[in-house]
Amino acid sequence: MPTIRIALLTIRLVMRTKVALFFTFLFPLVFLFAYSGLIAHGNPEVVAYMFGPVVTLNIMGSGFFGLGIQSVMQRERGSLRRYRLAPIGPRTMLLSNLLANYLLELPTIGLLLFSAIVFFHMPIKIGWVTLWVLVTVGTFAFAGFGLTIASVANTMQEAQVYNNIVWFTLLFLSGVTFPLPMLPRGIQRLAMFFPSTYLVSSFQSITAQAEPLLEHWPEMVVLAASGVFGLLFAMKLFRWEKEERISTRAKLWSGVFVLPFLIMGLWMNTRANPTAMWARSYNVLGQGSAAASNAEAEEPNVIEDFDGIQASEELLRRWQVSTDSDVMGQSMAEISLLTPGAEGTRHAMRLKGHLAPGPKNVQGYVSARCEVQVPAQSRGLHGIEFEARGESRIYQVGFSPPKLAQSCCSKSAAPESPAPGPSAAGWVKADATSLPAISFVPGEAWQNVRVPIAWLADPSEHGLADGPWVLEVSVTGAPGEFTLDLDQIRFY
Amino acid sequence: MALLEENSVLVSVQNLHKHYGDLAALRDLSFDILQGEVFGLLGPNGAGKTTTIEIIEGLRQPDSGSVRVCGLDPAQETMTLKERIGAQLQSTVLPDKMRVDEALHLFAGFYRRSASVQMLLERFGLEEKRHTFFEKLSGGQKQRLALALALVNDPELVLLDEPTVGLDPQLRRDIYALIERFREEGRTVLLTTHYIEEAERLCDRVAIMDRGQLVALGTPRELIARSGQGTRLEVRLAKPVGIDRLKLIEGVIDCHEAEGAYLLRAQPAAVTIATLIRFLESNDNSLLDLHIARPSLEDVFVEMTGRRMEH
Repeated sequence: MPTIRIALLTIRLVMRTKVALFFTFLFPLVFLFAYSGLIAHGNPEVVAYMFGPVVTLNIMGSGFFGLGIQSVMQRERGSLRRYRLAPIGPRTMLLSNLLANYLLELPTIGLLLFSAIVFFHMPIKIGWVTLWVLVTVGTFAFAGFGLTIASVANTMQEAQVYNNIVWFTLLFLSGVTFPLPMLPRGIQRLAMFFPSTYLVSSFQSITAQAEPLLEHWPEMVVLAASGVFGLLFAMKLFRWEKEERISTRAKLWSGVFVLPFLIMGLWMNTRANPTAMWARSYNVLGQGSAAASNAEAEEPNVIEDFDGIQASEELLRRWQVSTDSDVMGQSMAEISLLTPGAEGTRHAMRLKGHLAPGPKNVQGYVSARCEVQVPAQSRGLHGIEFEARGESRIYQVGFSPPKLAQSCCSKSAAPESPAPGPSAAGWVKADATSLPAISFVPGEAWQNVRVPIAWLADPSEHGLADGPWVLEVSVTGAPGEFTLDLDQIRFY
Repeated sequence: MALLEENSVLVSVQNLHKHYGDLAALRDLSFDILQGEVFGLLGPNGAGKTTTIEIIEGLRQPDSGSVRVCGLDPAQETMTLKERIGAQLQSTVLPDKMRVDEALHLFAGFYRRSASVQMLLERFGLEEKRHTFFEKLSGGQKQRLALALALVNDPELVLLDEPTVGLDPQLRRDIYALIERFREEGRTVLLTTHYIEEAERLCDRVAIMDRGQLVALGTPRELIARSGQGTRLEVRLAKPVGIDRLKLIEGVIDCHEAEGAYLLRAQPAAVTIATLIRFLESNDNSLLDLHIARPSLEDVFVEMTGRRMEH
């Protein structure tokens, strides 16, 4: 059968061309490793979420550049002319190119899947048939795109222009590079008109959420329809010779190709609510990152980076806020999760409130504290450090042993005297006892605060190894409003 | 081979017109090609040769006129016709990494009837190059592969568009030998060329075209004879003779002197030479040197169009 003969020979020719081999097999792997390593940090759940964009990117590339540009190149080189003399028509040529493209795509996806499983332990939440349907429909849809552009473009330069416009639009505005929930609302609305959005979001829902494929039948139908439209256009406008030109009128007809996307986009914008679905998948990314953060937190030096905390309720379970309201004081405070954190991390903690003057010249009192396990192997550590930002006023940070902390937490009286003032460097050592208390004054920008703890190098020698200890940050100084952001608390 | 009677018309072109925009590529072109003959379309670039051959192949549609090839209408029965004809393009391009034998096997697979690939490789001297990539073939080898591809379906009509263009004389002679073998096999061949010697050597009949029109049609001998140009004779004599007296010799059309020699155009040349020798003997003169140059199709073209062929 001529279609199969040409397709198989085309595959053989690709295998003989180093550049084609690189872009067909190696390049997608580069993206998989980049996405899985840099964005997913190797977290299997997040890799599952990012697998969709990687596969979509690959499918798009094969449609636009593997099929579309190759078709124009064949025509420009004049190699189609020889086929024209044989008893085969445009349909045979197009179907053979389509088949070759598809048969090259399958092992590439297989290679991506294999690498994701072996190197990143990606969980398989997707059935083989579902994966096959997604890949097949996606490949067909973007083949339609490539063929339409190849049909409409009169020259290679023209094809490159059309390709790049569509390619970059889909690349950046449809969840292939940036997760859809991260995009502004207006862009999200626009993304609902893009086929890559349908493929990426379907992939992510299925691979990350294990949703059934049937829930995405509208996307599949539209993608398949675009493939059919593209193929029909390509057959109608097929040209064997580079000298043959397509009229502007025929070019305009190709606008019909976008009709399925227009209908789907309108439906999504008005009737459906894909953003909720996108967000559900995206939460997997958050949980994955949290897991990654927890894994980091399991590192002995990290006390709290807040990145693994999803909601303020969780924050309240870890951190405890105390004020002088316990002793009839008027101070108020609350803690909340802040996004983003210091230096681009996901979250930080915000301590915000009002410090009221206490009765009988006793200063008002507000503090937030959490339990900290001193690392078993703390030899070589020198203290605790964190990133702080807030209003320019005095705060204190203390690190107390369990018993003292217990009494501290249940104490009903606030310190009677203010802590020593800040140094120019933003912090000073408060006293020379084994329970260090440090005062610091944060600025508007994040800055690093260090609390030296001399005994940390050998806690057992001081009989202080049993935990957990309590890290306490308190607000001192003059009465008034305060806001303090904290992040990246760790031993150093 | 087609079950047509010998000398039956295999290709019939009648009153063909074709325009590309304002340019008239073909103007009322008519000719027949008989089965088993090698028919040449001779003309300069832009004469309409390729358009004609592409209409015969069914690749282009004429604006008006009719074409029948192997009893079929190329415009309506293109696929059926392609099974019965073999064609070679002016320039054949295949994918760079396609091997010679792969190309032959691939194209052979497109037809219901096909020739043996091994036989084609041997016949066209490509046996040693069977595993060579297309990009590694020389110009001559590419052209031989193109001819082999034209024969891959064992066609009854072979259409060759400028088969030797761009090749050096030796390669050209190789291609001539291959085409002559087509004739020996009884295949009908239509070739376009702008090489006079190619048409004279290979073609049983030649249609001379210029600016989309048929200028002359016949065997090369007929065309030359019909041209009235006469054979060119360059003679050197022992004693000078008056040009007026030479002009009186039987068959001399024209005569002038150049660099001590007399240049005569004669028709028929044999009679003129015999008469000239008798004239010289009777006038105590003798022939020192004689060069005979037959008129060419180029002379015919010049006479028909008033200008030389532009190669």
